[in-house]
Amino acid sequence: MRQSLARILAVAWREATLLRHDKGFLSVVVVQPVIMLAMYGFLSQKPANVPWAVLDRDQTAMSRRLVEDVATSGYFLPPVAVASYDEARRRLGDGRALAVLVVPETFRRDVERGRPRVQLLLDGSDPLASARIAAYVGQIAAAFEPRRDVEPRRGALPMARPPEPVDVRQRFAFNPTLSDRIFLLGGLGAMLLTNLCFSMSSHSIVGERESGTYEQTLSLPITGVEIVLGKLVPLVGVSYLVLVETLLLEGVVYGLWSLGSLVALAIVTLPFVLASLAMGVLVSSLSRTSAQAVFITVFFIMPSFILGGLIFPYQLMPPVSRAVGGLFPLRWYQIAMRRIFTRGGGLEDVLVPMAALCVIFVALLGAIRLRLKPRLG
Amino acid sequence: MSWRRLRTLIVREIRTQLRDPFTMTILVVVPLGAMLLFGFVLSTEVHGLRLAVLDADDSPASRRLVDDLVATGAFDASMVRSRGEIERGIVSGTIGAGLVIPPDFARDLRSGGPAPQVEVFYDAADSVLAGNAEGYLRSIVAATGAQLAARPGTPSRGGPTGVAVTTGVLFNPTLAGKPFMVAGTFGFVLSFLTTLITTVTIVNERMAGTFEQLQVTPATTLEILLGKLIPLGGVFALDVALMMLLAGVLLDVWPHGSALLFWAVSAFYVSTSLAMGLIFSATSATAVEAVQKTVLYSIPLIQLSGFAFPIRSMPQSLQWFTEIFPATHYIRVSRAIYLRGQGFWDLVPELAVLAVFAVVQVAAAVRTLEVRA
Repeated sequence: MRQSLARILAVAWREATLLRHDKGFLSVVVVQPVIMLAMYGFLSQKPANVPWAVLDRDQTAMSRRLVEDVATSGYFLPPVAVASYDEARRRLGDGRALAVLVVPETFRRDVERGRPRVQLLLDGSDPLASARIAAYVGQIAAAFEPRRDVEPRRGALPMARPPEPVDVRQRFAFNPTLSDRIFLLGGLGAMLLTNLCFSMSSHSIVGERESGTYEQTLSLPITGVEIVLGKLVPLVGVSYLVLVETLLLEGVVYGLWSLGSLVALAIVTLPFVLASLAMGVLVSSLSRTSAQAVFITVFFIMPSFILGGLIFPYQLMPPVSRAVGGLFPLRWYQIAMRRIFTRGGGLEDVLVPMAALCVIFVALLGAIRLRLKPRLG
Repeated sequence: MSWRRLRTLIVREIRTQLRDPFTMTILVVVPLGAMLLFGFVLSTEVHGLRLAVLDADDSPASRRLVDDLVATGAFDASMVRSRGEIERGIVSGTIGAGLVIPPDFARDLRSGGPAPQVEVFYDAADSVLAGNAEGYLRSIVAATGAQLAARPGTPSRGGPTGVAVTTGVLFNPTLAGKPFMVAGTFGFVLSFLTTLITTVTIVNERMAGTFEQLQVTPATTLEILLGKLIPLGGVFALDVALMMLLAGVLLDVWPHGSALLFWAVSAFYVSTSLAMGLIFSATSATAVEAVQKTVLYSIPLIQLSGFAFPIRSMPQSLQWFTEIFPATHYIRVSRAIYLRGQGFWDLVPELAVLAVFAVVQVAAAVRTLEVRA
């Protein structure tokens, strides 16, 4: 056991020396977080600058006020007036409008009678945006106060009462403005670490096989698993460096500091990094050349971003996709990271993801052991 | 340029590729796998979101409200006894939202006085989820509230309540995420995967030294490269057809517009990826370097091309920047044909842009090779 540890450390020392001289690797470690951080600060799933059109058949002050209420809500570009349903459909059809608000001829009269109704035509080809736009317009319309100009405003109105039968007060915990930046940056560390671990581990194993030094290592009194563990140690160190760099940058550039315990984050990072590195090693053991290895890892990275729930919420995926996503270490780490970083959780809140990560790591180590029987050729 | 030599090279290339199980797997399995993986992941529906309810009223009206929220399948309600439980649940991630119904909910609803105030807490750390849930919950509360308030025998609330909105959705009536993602996946596969495969096959040839061997034959560099690119392009064009079939049969997503037009545009678009692959492989010394260049080029392309994030929601300067990626234009065209059923003439401006990209990139690739040859 003691000897085994010594052997692992010897390999680790050799690897660290190699990495220190790899300029390309160092620039990836330093530059990549900066690029990603700049990009993810500005991406959002929230609709904004929505192009829309209005088919106003009423043409009264009342109908124009409703249009204005929607236009000033902040999600929309200035509206374009259209004259007919055909024109409205054409605009939706060629993507020049994402929504068309149709106000009927009888709108003003309907308001006076108390049952006004308008129609909203949506472009279903952008379902995410359309669903949100429908919700926004529905809320704005529900809050429309027709009374404002049915009677002249001379303080005649009693207390302004919300027009809805039930007044819904909402509070968005951890993210008061419901900004996607907090969601995306909360998971950025997980994204960068996945990138780093996958590409570095696959590169280091296959690259060695190509240059022939793997055979040299095999001739030493050391087992395959020991070589792998030794190679992983310096990469774990680099991963922590990248994590610290990301957290600092997020704090300094966007003012987002971790709300939860950094110690808990550091602890849960260890099984994740080990599992990701092990996954990279396993994947690369399937390939013969380093080009193939990088190739395969790239194909593991992309799906793990999507299925792991970094970009689209995993909670909404169908059961099969959810289950497949659960096999990726990234899924559990992003849950844990967002719980700590964004929600201020502690170690006791991330026990389940942490257990899942440990199970994945052990399973992968077993698979690597089967796969990496010391052998030549 | 001799057609006979070119044909020989093409036949050679096809035979080599057919013998290499790794390449064949990648060429066929990965595009289809990507289609299946990505087709399902986007959903606009809220389903089974865990909702903690603190019902301080515990009246028929408040129970009805909770029942209505649960009945749609969007929420999975559990009762709690204090606000503290809701807050703890949100921090520990066991619930996605909390609803507090005030003690006098039923009375206020019918009295005609100020409207009862319910409070909703969302776990907005998952901003996309919370954003979808917000719209759902509000519309259900408004509908149920209106029905409860309008029960016979209760005094009218007096005066009109806000404007009702009927929504009609064109092109994708259920607002399903599948067709949107399918159309985008073509963009992802045809920009990223094809560039990567091109890079790898050419670099492999150079690493193995067979490229030099080919160069001492009478074949010119252009012929050698065309001999590699034409079979690859053919496989990619076949991939497009396979992906369309798979999306149709397994995901039930068929193009609304002309399938032939879509196939033709996609097959043409592949030429830009082939050209990029050529450039990356020609300018790199090792395979790893070439692949890393491709990945570096592709990562912003995936985030900024509209595949995962709507371009409209980006700051203006970033929006302009996205236009320099051919993938942005291709994905736009792909969605227009697949979802809105647009035809050739509607798409002329975007197609012209794609053609310009193709010409520029192919020219750049040829130039790079001339310099290196």
